Amino acid sequence: MLNQLVSWSCIALESVLLFRGLRSKLGSRYPAFYTYISFVLLQDLLCYFAFRWIHPLYTYIYWTTEFLCILFSCGIVLEVYRVGLSAYPGTARITRKVLGLVFAVALVKALVSAANDPRWWLEATAKDVAGTLRAVQGIAIIALVSLFLFYAIPFGRNLRGILVGYGLFVCWTVICLTLSSSVGDNVHAFLKNLYQVSYPVFLVFWLVHLWSYQTNPASEVEVPLEREYERIAAATRRRLHDVRGQLAKVVGS
Amino acid sequence: MIGIPTALLLGTILLLLLLFVAARGSVGARESTSRSDVPLLDDEAALDPCPPEFVARIFSPDDWKFVSETGSAQLEKLFRRERKVVALAWVHQTSLAVRRIMREHTQAARHSHDLQFATESKLVLLYAELMLLCGMLFLAIQSAEPQRVRGLAVYAGTLSQRLAQAQHDLKTITAGREFHGAS
Repeated sequence: MLNQLVSWSCIALESVLLFRGLRSKLGSRYPAFYTYISFVLLQDLLCYFAFRWIHPLYTYIYWTTEFLCILFSCGIVLEVYRVGLSAYPGTARITRKVLGLVFAVALVKALVSAANDPRWWLEATAKDVAGTLRAVQGIAIIALVSLFLFYAIPFGRNLRGILVGYGLFVCWTVICLTLSSSVGDNVHAFLKNLYQVSYPVFLVFWLVHLWSYQTNPASEVEVPLEREYERIAAATRRRLHDVRGQLAKVVGS
Repeated sequence: MIGIPTALLLGTILLLLLLFVAARGSVGARESTSRSDVPLLDDEAALDPCPPEFVARIFSPDDWKFVSETGSAQLEKLFRRERKVVALAWVHQTSLAVRRIMREHTQAARHSHDLQFATESKLVLLYAELMLLCGMLFLAIQSAEPQRVRGLAVYAGTLSQRLAQAQHDLKTITAGREFHGAS
């Protein structure tokens, strides 16, 4: 009963989110995020019907779509980077390097861990792999948010909603997936229910922040050099005006 | 593949950072809020790091020796209190100056087209080291005499000068490149 209620509420909220995205033209501004939401809606519907009518295939369909969802969700991180830093080439450059470094370190660590424990490739469950991928996403978001904070990059309401909502969702997913792999059946069932119930909360959060389009705070595109130039030009113009006045006096006298 | 402690650590850091972003409303508000931290000095140039001689003098044992030789307990007490206040004011001013330098740097750097990752990393490490040193000095001065932490204070003073110089050089180079790029 609770599962059905959660499933339908998720489908309803995702539909409203997509509808509002199209209505407020946010879909064209944040294509990766809305593609992800569309895919999650498709996944929910597919899984619901698979659960009702082709139950033996449910697990395969669920995990296949779940991995595709994780791939689509990588686009959200890249979109936050693209939209948030479009007016800040310096920070964008540093962010590219830091994210590259994060992915390289994650890859090396994964390879070293797999080399030390070759059984992992055979024994790892879909849940383990999903948890690991989400953890890498979590690290990427930490790096991204740290740089945004360090360089004092201003956020609009929409972008902040996407970033905070998705970051909290990743954080919650990593903790739930890691804990559920190493606890007993009772706690596992509790965590599973808690995880399912929490998803509509994230959707409501997104809905509130993405109800209508709001511009990003005006970026300070004007470079200090240009300001300095304008200041010098104004001072020169003033002095020329004074000199011209004095010259006129001398010529007149 | 990741253990429970790692997952919890990752989750906590992520949660704190995101709550920080959410609570602040806009990260850009940092500029306006941090400006209010600046003490009552209109001229921001007055917040430049103090010259090394000044630092050496505040934390020097010579004044302390001179006061001790007078043999006046009251004078010693007064000197100790005053010198502690001056030393703490220096730490506070240095910390503010360092934060102002970094704020100026990040404001200029985020628009720069040719930012170097290695230079940025060095500056960030230098900044972190200085903030840590200021924190340590603040605690040390509160609990001990300023002259006991002279070495640390002189080192912090030198580092803050180096940071100011590095930021100045970077600003000059960046402005020069932008000027040449624009012309």
